[in-house]
Amino acid sequence: MESAALGQEPVSLGARRFRVLAAIGPMERVGIALVFLITLVALLVPLIAPHGPYETIGPAYQPPGHYGLLGTDEVGRDLFSRLLYGMRASWFSALAVVAAGALIGFAVGLLAGVRGGWVDTALMRITDAGLALPGPIIAIAVAVALGPSLVHTLIAVTVVWWPWYARIVRAEARAIVVRPHFDAARLAGAGGLRLAVRHVMPGALPAVVIAASVDLGYLILTLAGLSFLGLGAPPPAPELGAMAYQGLNALFSFPWIPLAPAVAVFVLAAAANMAGDGLRDLLEDV
Amino acid sequence: MILRFVLGRALGLLVVLWVLVTIVFMLGAVIPSEPARAYAGAGASPAVIAQKREELGLEKPLLTRYVDYLERLGQGDLSESVHTHQPVADDLREAFPATLELLLASIGITMLIGLAVGVVTARPRRGTGLLRGALLAGASVPVFTLGLLALFLFYYKLGWFPAGGQTAPGTIHVVGPTGFLSLDALLTGHFGVFVNVLWHLVLPATALALTPALLTARTLRSSLRHSLRQDYARTARAKGLTERQVLWRHALRNSLNAPLTISGLELGAMLAGIAVVETIFAWPGIGLYIDRAIAANDVPAICGVTLVVGVVFVVANAIVDALQLVVDPRLRQHA
Repeated sequence: MESAALGQEPVSLGARRFRVLAAIGPMERVGIALVFLITLVALLVPLIAPHGPYETIGPAYQPPGHYGLLGTDEVGRDLFSRLLYGMRASWFSALAVVAAGALIGFAVGLLAGVRGGWVDTALMRITDAGLALPGPIIAIAVAVALGPSLVHTLIAVTVVWWPWYARIVRAEARAIVVRPHFDAARLAGAGGLRLAVRHVMPGALPAVVIAASVDLGYLILTLAGLSFLGLGAPPPAPELGAMAYQGLNALFSFPWIPLAPAVAVFVLAAAANMAGDGLRDLLEDV
Repeated sequence: MILRFVLGRALGLLVVLWVLVTIVFMLGAVIPSEPARAYAGAGASPAVIAQKREELGLEKPLLTRYVDYLERLGQGDLSESVHTHQPVADDLREAFPATLELLLASIGITMLIGLAVGVVTARPRRGTGLLRGALLAGASVPVFTLGLLALFLFYYKLGWFPAGGQTAPGTIHVVGPTGFLSLDALLTGHFGVFVNVLWHLVLPATALALTPALLTARTLRSSLRHSLRQDYARTARAKGLTERQVLWRHALRNSLNAPLTISGLELGAMLAGIAVVETIFAWPGIGLYIDRAIAANDVPAICGVTLVVGVVFVVANAIVDALQLVVDPRLRQHA
């Protein structure tokens, strides 16, 4: 920071931050490129996939190369196409949970941080209690109570995920409301909502983006684990975790059937983690 | 001062436990569209469901039901499982020792690998980039991928380890005072069974431990690197201590805080991973119970598990908090 007076440091993303793009390592760049590539492929899956996810294309348990790129599964469906649809579901599910969690986190964190007082105390007590409980186990319980469906699982994971974001947003908001620009906006007559959204939220955004990018890989793993346990779209939906579970019996005879989806989850999570690390370095080190 | 701190923490613990109990009550009683159906099982007839409604007191006001629930909880009643038709508390008591054995073995492996990898990689040397990649990749492997690969490689291809279960089929059934198979085998002098149990533990415990171990290593590595750059490390070097002495005697203890903090969080992920690992390795513990309960949509069983596992998690994190005060005296002042 150069000679900015106390409290007047720029809060928003400065243009010079992007100059550090050159400074991040090759691994992170590969990660960010992969994230874009995966999102693009995920969007285009219905056009790219050689077959539909429910379509039977030949006999069951065909080895890779005979019917389709990866062979067929236990019912004779194209494993490669189902893999693509599964990756699409995993990717967008994780993104949806991150988005929903961040949105709720923003609402709660901004309310607590801008209002302060008893509202802050009450909301943060709830948030802390949420953080003190074992998230994945609570998510399993919520998903079971709601009944098996992908949307219910996403709701269940969001329920245990938002407190992280609320904590981050609240901490940032508390630091921002003591800055002069906030006082100026308040004295100019801005209402509560406008103050929160226009004058506090932009300052809290970088921290949330960092948290979200680091979370993405972890979420992909969590959702795949829940899907493996049968919490997700009910079969025969193409979900990577569920495909690995259903292929468990074939592990010694047709190992690629459970291992291909298992490796696909790894690829998604690794790409997300590499990109997350890169983004964190990018936003934090400046 | 210390007393106030302890009382404050204890009060916080009680509040969290109360929240947990309330959440579990809501999950069982409010969220399912028809709680009686959830408790009676999906295939129950209308008459059975009506009877279950009566039995569960679903006609009563919510607050009354909540008080009833707390009372039953006080008596150790966790309701009855849909898929085993037994009290959930009995099911859990039966499954708990096997899971605790697996969990403790995994925590041991996590700490061992985490400490070793963290210390070895703390000092800058060649291949750091490669190492970072390996640690990152390790943090991206799903538990079930590790389990499947371990099973395929070390059981099917190499035959080094057994496929699953707690002992080989045909092993004598050991009953002992503790309920823990490994301990009981040792106490009753069945040394062969003890070795057999440990042998069966290796794959599931390692599959469960690897990701948290690498996370621990990553955290320890970065705090060690920070500690080694501090003034006191330079002073220690100036006194003529070897780099090894500086690291083990001075830097390490100052670097244990961050890994300890995340170890509490890792426990949460491990508890969920247990269900996956026990399913793959047919380990007869709470994880396998969760898997079967999910398949049967067994809400009471899941609620019971959530409560018990939640309490274990919250208490374990309180212990980690206390450990941090032991490791780092600076924190005691803030307390």
